Amino acid sequence: MSRLNIVVILMVAVLLGALFSVFTTNSESVVFSRAFAEPGIEFKVSGTLDTDHPVLYDPLMDVAETRFHMQDKEGEVQEVILRKAKPTGLEQSESIDLYGKVVDGEFVATEMLMKCPSKYNEDSHSLAESTPEAG
Amino acid sequence: MDIVYNGEWTWAASLGRLLIALAFAGGLASTIGYTRAVREGQGPWHAMGRWGFRIQAAGIFGASALVYLLIFSHRYEFEYVWKHLNDAMPFSYMLSSFWGGQEGGFLVWMCWILVLAIVFLRRNPGKLEAPVMAIHAGILTGLSSMLLGLWFGDFQFGLDPFLMLREAPQNAGLPWTLNPDYLSLIPQFADGQGLNPLLQNYWMVIHPPTLFLGFASTLMPFAMAVSGLWLVDHKTWMDRAISWAFFGVAILGAGILMGGAWAYEALSFGGFWAWDPVENSSLVPWLVLVAGAHLLLINKSKPGTAITATYLLVSLSFLLVVYSTFLTKSGILGDTSVHSFVDSGILPQLLGFLLGCCALFCTLLLAPGRDRILFGGLQAVMMVGIVVLDPALCVLGLIAVMLAAVLRAHLRHLPRTDKESPLWTREFWMFVGGMLMFASAVHITFQTSLPVLNHFLEPFSAGFERLHQATGSALARKLATHDLAPGTDFDATYHAIQVPLAFLFISITAFTQYLRYGRNPNRQVFFMPLRSLIAAAVLTVVFLLAYDFETWEAPRVALMLACLWSAASNADYIIQVLKGKWDHAGASIAHIGFAMVIFGAVLSNAKKDIVSQNRFGDLAMLNESLSNEEDLLLLEGDTVTMGAYYVMYRERRQEGIHAKFAVDYFNTLPAEYSAGDVVSNEGFVFQCAEDHTASPTFTDDLEDHWTFIPIPNDRQKREAAPWSAGRPGEHAFTLEPRIQLNERMGNAPEPDTKRYWNRDLYTHIKWGRVSDPEADEDGWMGGRKHDLMRRDSLVIGRSILALDSISAVTMAEKPAQGLLDKDLAVAAHFRLTGNGPDTTFTALYIVRDSLLIPDMVTLEDRGIKVRIDGFRPTEATFETVIWENLSIRRDFIVMQAIVFPQINLLWLGCLIMTTGALMAVRQRRKNQRRRTPAQPTA
Repeated sequence: MSRLNIVVILMVAVLLGALFSVFTTNSESVVFSRAFAEPGIEFKVSGTLDTDHPVLYDPLMDVAETRFHMQDKEGEVQEVILRKAKPTGLEQSESIDLYGKVVDGEFVATEMLMKCPSKYNEDSHSLAESTPEAG
Repeated sequence: MDIVYNGEWTWAASLGRLLIALAFAGGLASTIGYTRAVREGQGPWHAMGRWGFRIQAAGIFGASALVYLLIFSHRYEFEYVWKHLNDAMPFSYMLSSFWGGQEGGFLVWMCWILVLAIVFLRRNPGKLEAPVMAIHAGILTGLSSMLLGLWFGDFQFGLDPFLMLREAPQNAGLPWTLNPDYLSLIPQFADGQGLNPLLQNYWMVIHPPTLFLGFASTLMPFAMAVSGLWLVDHKTWMDRAISWAFFGVAILGAGILMGGAWAYEALSFGGFWAWDPVENSSLVPWLVLVAGAHLLLINKSKPGTAITATYLLVSLSFLLVVYSTFLTKSGILGDTSVHSFVDSGILPQLLGFLLGCCALFCTLLLAPGRDRILFGGLQAVMMVGIVVLDPALCVLGLIAVMLAAVLRAHLRHLPRTDKESPLWTREFWMFVGGMLMFASAVHITFQTSLPVLNHFLEPFSAGFERLHQATGSALARKLATHDLAPGTDFDATYHAIQVPLAFLFISITAFTQYLRYGRNPNRQVFFMPLRSLIAAAVLTVVFLLAYDFETWEAPRVALMLACLWSAASNADYIIQVLKGKWDHAGASIAHIGFAMVIFGAVLSNAKKDIVSQNRFGDLAMLNESLSNEEDLLLLEGDTVTMGAYYVMYRERRQEGIHAKFAVDYFNTLPAEYSAGDVVSNEGFVFQCAEDHTASPTFTDDLEDHWTFIPIPNDRQKREAAPWSAGRPGEHAFTLEPRIQLNERMGNAPEPDTKRYWNRDLYTHIKWGRVSDPEADEDGWMGGRKHDLMRRDSLVIGRSILALDSISAVTMAEKPAQGLLDKDLAVAAHFRLTGNGPDTTFTALYIVRDSLLIPDMVTLEDRGIKVRIDGFRPTEATFETVIWENLSIRRDFIVMQAIVFPQINLLWLGCLIMTTGALMAVRQRRKNQRRRTPAQPTA
């Protein structure tokens, strides 16, 4: 029972496990065109909220359905359905990761991660717009 | 030509920068002086080291005091104060605005390092003083360089905490910055932005300084390890480092869990731990520090055991603290993390600091001579390469050289014992436990570092792409996109590996204390922990039954068993072996605390119950596989059942910066039904035959108390409420989940929790209005479209609007309705019930010459307007638009409620663990003093 052997075996086992879990548990990161080409398969699509369209959330109709438009990394805009209550700060989000699949011609996401400026970041605060003319 | 600005504390900016510069310069002098003193002993170099350190300390303490002075004087001309403070903040949050930004964070960290260094100096440091202080001064110099705020062209060197807004790059050249009276002229300077509202929580007053003290306390063991290498004395430092290392274990552990408490109370992600990069990067140094501290313990009793591993683990803890600072402050996590991290522009500097610390350690691992020069030189070459050649490749190269240096040092330079210790000894199992914790840290680091790994994959992207095209390998395609991120499923990403590892090292803490160092000829030690194992097994079965575990959960049940065993066994050890001698019980108490933390974490997470889930639902809902309805819609004034309670959303009110939503909770009593009541159950209608108290399920009552109505009449259909086993009883308590209002950073929900001894009811708002919706001057809100068929009904405010029937308007009726003969008209007959007398009214759909004639029906006193915009004859459906008046509107919220069982064990465990670790530190100090009677210091 050499100590070094224990260490090496442990590290190798854990690293293999970690690698395995990274490559099996992650949804593949794709753009909309690929997700729509392979309906029913779970993908991760990243992009930004398209602010030209409104975010639709009507809890009286369905508490767990939010509809909005997202622009993917190739610039394609699609309407997507998120099967959750509208997340706080969606409108302010800088980027969105959606985990979901295409069902009946619509991208339905069950999980969403947002990158929001609110948490650790402060807006860069230029006083430019609000500054009176020097006089 | 200098402008004299009126009312501005220009002097404070100059003084602050002077203090930082002084700290930097003093630090450099101290580093050089102490470094020379390592070889030359007491003398002028040593004095220079000490004086340099004093200047450095004065600079850092002075700068910190000055920042506080600026905060308490509300000097908003300073960017740091303006960003993190406003007039509305109470005293306690003024304290925390100090560490609201990175600059303050660095200052707190440095202040704690100074405090610890001063304590070290007062404790008779002997020959360790010069090397340990050289490291401290060097590290502090590196850290204070992060605050220099110098610009070399576009390259930023440090963030200046004393930067004034008029000097900030984004305001450069704007006319107002040249106006001497800008402070009084521009209203924005009257008040600051205020601390990020999420940080305005009492935990944020205590959590960051504790965590930074924990971070600072990893430096002392690191500095001592480096001293050991420097002086080529592998024993002295280990003795001294033990109590410092366990102090770090206690404080860092408490700091991390305080962060969890803050997340639990102020952030609404529904728990205390989310495997977030920020959390992970403070957990990992702790795990490694615990492992390292235990290796130090082994070396105390069995000198010369696993020297390389001891050096590595003790030092890695500090290096990982620096690495996590780099991860969270450089902006490198940016694209893949949930959070946005500030790219403050000092990434190169942080990277340089991190690599410098690692390189220093790896070089010193090799004994003085050819190897040290060779590997040191190679590392220097790689670092130059990072700047002038390809950064990713050269960092990879640097890491390879460092690993080679470690391996070389292990094989050639550091002492190794060839004799292996026997299997059943304390040192062997402590070593194995430490290695398991280290493995756990490696795994978490790997997951957290995936965004960094992506940068290393980038240069090889084209190669992987070719590989993918050649072999069709999906793995190659994933690597080619270099967009790896930890998965969202914590069970697969973290728990699958962390749970088995924790099971092993916690089990080890259950029996290792009974084993002795060296040899264990006495067989009895193997039986002593058995008693507690049996007790733990019985307890586990009790929990299994109480919380309904399933087969696939076997790993976590095993982990819970290990936790119970460890807690019981360590308690037993205090009684059986230590006979209640509390002075020596520190380690056992800390183990009990740790076991409780993990037990509480596992149980509360595994058996958390989202009680707001829609459990009944209609069948259509259940068929929809994608539906994950975890949230409850609560209309103002409605009482609905949720978990063990009935809940009612009573009112919304604004209090300071919070919109509070008062939700009343009522106990559940069994429902009472009286003869004649009509209910519906699974789509069928029943009538109550006799007065009775409801059983838990409808089928139990059906035969005795209910009569099935095969063809219910309209009234019965309308009045049949769904059967329910319960009814609201007396008011139990009120929770007020909040939404924090913040125009600048977006509104943020904050939970409210009802605490019981054995569970928490944790509620937070998923969606709620913080103000009334928009309406015109008469109070009419925007219309909503509904497709209505005959017998459809809608809830409008407190009333129910039902479409009773549809009829075509006949020729005879047309004149009375003011219609022409050629008009085509369909009538919709509505009935409005509730919140007033029953009312019927008719809305018409009129088409004249293929044009729609709008017919608006207004029920002013009932606050409702209806218009029919379309009719689809094939489906007999009206496209109806309904307006609602604010006067009848009912507010509503979408709320999530989670029950966390036994979560208090987690917090209690944290307290016990910290206490135990500190007790052990105290005992060790006492022993040390007894062994080496204090000498009068020179």
